[in-house]
Amino acid sequence: MRPAAESNEFRRDLVSVLPKLRRFAMTLTRNAADADDLVQEVCERAITRNHLWNGEGRLESWIYAMTRNLWIDEIRKRKVRTGGGTVDASEQDELSVEASGEKAVYANQLHKMILSMPEGLASVFLLVNVEGHSYREAADILKIPIGTVMSRLSTARMRLAAMITETTERRA
Amino acid sequence: MQNTKGLALEVRLSAYLDGEVNEAERKELEQLVARDDEARLILEMLKAGNAFGNKAFEEFLHDPVPLSLVRRIKQGPGVNPKSERVVSAAPRPARTRLWPRALAASVALLLIGGSTGFIIGKTGNDDAAPMNVAAARTWLDDIADYHRIYSRQTAEHLVEVSAADLDRIEPWLASSVGVNFKLPDLTAQGLAFEGARLLVAGGKPVAQLMYKNEDGDVFAICFLKNKPGTSDGKMTESMRDDIAMISWQKADASYVVVGPSADANLQLLADAVSATI
Repeated sequence: MRPAAESNEFRRDLVSVLPKLRRFAMTLTRNAADADDLVQEVCERAITRNHLWNGEGRLESWIYAMTRNLWIDEIRKRKVRTGGGTVDASEQDELSVEASGEKAVYANQLHKMILSMPEGLASVFLLVNVEGHSYREAADILKIPIGTVMSRLSTARMRLAAMITETTERRA
Repeated sequence: MQNTKGLALEVRLSAYLDGEVNEAERKELEQLVARDDEARLILEMLKAGNAFGNKAFEEFLHDPVPLSLVRRIKQGPGVNPKSERVVSAAPRPARTRLWPRALAASVALLLIGGSTGFIIGKTGNDDAAPMNVAAARTWLDDIADYHRIYSRQTAEHLVEVSAADLDRIEPWLASSVGVNFKLPDLTAQGLAFEGARLLVAGGKPVAQLMYKNEDGDVFAICFLKNKPGTSDGKMTESMRDDIAMISWQKADASYVVVGPSADANLQLLADAVSATI
């Protein structure tokens, strides 16, 4: 395939996964503005590096892993900019990022509830339960051990179950 | 398959739900659930959390993706391969957060009583005010749904009145919708007119003009009558999954151009339509 045609096809594939990519980004950033910025950066990077995509497996997995990496870089930069100094790499994806529900574009209550979950839970739940990735695939995308995938997943499910109770009580 | 022995029960049952435990553990957990009330409650909570989470995450896909982003991807600078590899962050340490069983048990009682109805929807005699969990649908949501269905129809079912009956289309739709219009000639944009439909969107009659490009991609122009004084002319871009939309209001009517999200020239098309319709 000619490089230009290959590039066009890749861009088309990228556009087709945008809604899902944006959803995944939301689970990382937990606010719409950051998610949109992150998605844009990921797409630009994916296009310039599409030669690294071997076409095997799911494009989402490759893009998601890149998204996760870029977000970790971003929160590390933010930490430095706000005077926190360098960040221990072992803690980098546990940095506290304020879930700015007020700023979120989404007024939808379900969105707010999902985004209010502690960091790391929504991403695992999305990958495994919603999008059908295996534990191994989710662990590879998020760069976490499988044991962490398992514990986060069960915690996410119990949190979500508790949310049903909250909403049921509000309706009563 | 994972070895979950020694892990918290909710973690083990969660892995069981995903089919990520081996055969021996699966049998062990099934026997445990059969004889142990607490295990059964936890399993039900995990299942309920799954159902609620799936529904919630599905809502995220209904949010429009900025069309400007789509355009940047389609029209961005050419590929400029670099030899550097994608940066990988260091792995994080395992950190297990276990949900307290006591809370699980207390929540479960409420859950069983109240969750089912929430998940499957309101019952017939439920007088409680519905939760405002989703944004109200607009006529554009209806148009997106129509487009998703009709654009996949074969040629004979694509339209209600074909382009062969061109003379009938303008007076028919103008009188049905209450908006006078001139059928846009979009051949300069590479689109051939296929025909028209009359739809109902947002509770109002809507005219739908269907076009195809040489690749077979379907584009639609839809419009409906508005209340007097609602014209603003400003174009708004949005994206619904694989469908892109550009809408505007003009002369007491609302218009939208609909096409594949992968098309980078939708704005030019909308400009042409707005100038000629």
